[in-house]
Amino acid sequence: MAVDVDKCTGCQACVLACQVENNIPLNTQDRFERNRAISWIRVERYWEGEFPNVKARFIPVLCQHCENAPCEPVCPVFATYHNAEGMNIQVYNRCVGTRYCANGCPYIVRFFNYWEPVWPESLRNHLNPDVTIRSRGIMEKCSFCVHRIRRGVRKADSEGRALNDGEIQTACQEACPTDALVFGDMNDPDSKVSEMKKSDRYYTLLPALGTSPNVFYLAKIDEDREVAHAGAEGEAGDGH
Amino acid sequence: MASLISFIRERNKTTPTWLKVLVPVLALGGLGVVAILAVIVAFVITGWLGQPVPVLGFDQTFKQPIDFPHTVHAGTGQLTDASGQVRRNHVGEELEALGLDCTYCHRTVTTQANAGVPPVAQCAFCHQAIGQENSAPLTQLRTNAGIIGDGASPINWKRVHRMPDHVRFVHEPHIRYLTANPSAIGNAAEGVNEAEAVKPALTCSTCHGDVASMEQVEQVEPLKMGQCVDCHRDNGAPTDCAACHH
Repeated sequence: MAVDVDKCTGCQACVLACQVENNIPLNTQDRFERNRAISWIRVERYWEGEFPNVKARFIPVLCQHCENAPCEPVCPVFATYHNAEGMNIQVYNRCVGTRYCANGCPYIVRFFNYWEPVWPESLRNHLNPDVTIRSRGIMEKCSFCVHRIRRGVRKADSEGRALNDGEIQTACQEACPTDALVFGDMNDPDSKVSEMKKSDRYYTLLPALGTSPNVFYLAKIDEDREVAHAGAEGEAGDGH
Repeated sequence: MASLISFIRERNKTTPTWLKVLVPVLALGGLGVVAILAVIVAFVITGWLGQPVPVLGFDQTFKQPIDFPHTVHAGTGQLTDASGQVRRNHVGEELEALGLDCTYCHRTVTTQANAGVPPVAQCAFCHQAIGQENSAPLTQLRTNAGIIGDGASPINWKRVHRMPDHVRFVHEPHIRYLTANPSAIGNAAEGVNEAEAVKPALTCSTCHGDVASMEQVEQVEPLKMGQCVDCHRDNGAPTDCAACHH
């Protein structure tokens, strides 16, 4: 997945879409206060500059689906692993809730269900039937909308064709009004994400940790600033 | 021996009454605990190996709100009743099973995740005319369909084959694969020619058994993950966890 930070307006539509799509329990004030709110994607906001020249910077942060994920080797029951498609998978029915993975994650995108999820009666019929409801005591995180991937692959299979680029959209991508989020096959050199990866604005989050994320970012373009990190290989990502 | 009996008699005289009552109570209680533990152990072990023994209310057959006989609708050949007599209609003609294709009623099975249970209207399509008037299940059906009275309502069928909540089973790709590869069909029914593609209905028996011969549908295969994975391995289907668990 590619995230074009230049296009992000911080509108939080992705956060809401993800919440609805993936049966994430409602985050009440109580949960936020205890730092136990669950949101698979969040929009981080940074202020830059001094008044009156203040700028807000937004970065959507979701599970980076690291190639070298710190969460995977610490799981004692193999509830999280890397699959052949390059995704970091969380197997809910295997998870026993040790929370080691969340402690290992430098991006803080893994969430623990401290409570049995509850929805108001009026929302019970809005739950997505394709996504498992996670019970109390297990970990959850962004799945790259794996149910949508399965559905897309199935549809292509039944029609006897290969998957088209852009056919599978994650919920956050679908909701993004500025198309800042792009999901696609990075093994396909002609896909849109592969094109974006060649951009000189390319960077990843916390590259020094060597997690080699599968989510990459395209830096913000500013009038008063040169294109960030242009040509500076190896240093990419320490700005934002 | 005599001395032993006299010893026990002698001791009984000195034993307090509360102890005389307590000992048999404890003995019976211990037996009860052992019996309960045995039932639980049997339940767990059989549940681990296949389907749990039908104790503690865990039963695999369900009394459906209407006695729908798959034998009549999906079966073939002459219909017989419980005593083996050939069933006849009101003018004395011998009745034959209908031999409907599974997909006639379970219509979404070849295109979607769920096989689908037909709406009452589909039953009523035939049964507003067909079937005896005094038959109890048909009267119930016609009431549900709104043909008799005003109480039209859906039939609350009980679900027999239920996957756990963390499993996403989709019928469509399974039927697509099995119709193209008949050799992978388990419990192959008659008429399956391994060389050519088959009708979707012939693939159902792989997991559901011979439903056409069941008066009351029950789950005959364990349908546990081991069975899924075995078949997936044999047929080169994905064994990635996220293929089914997400």
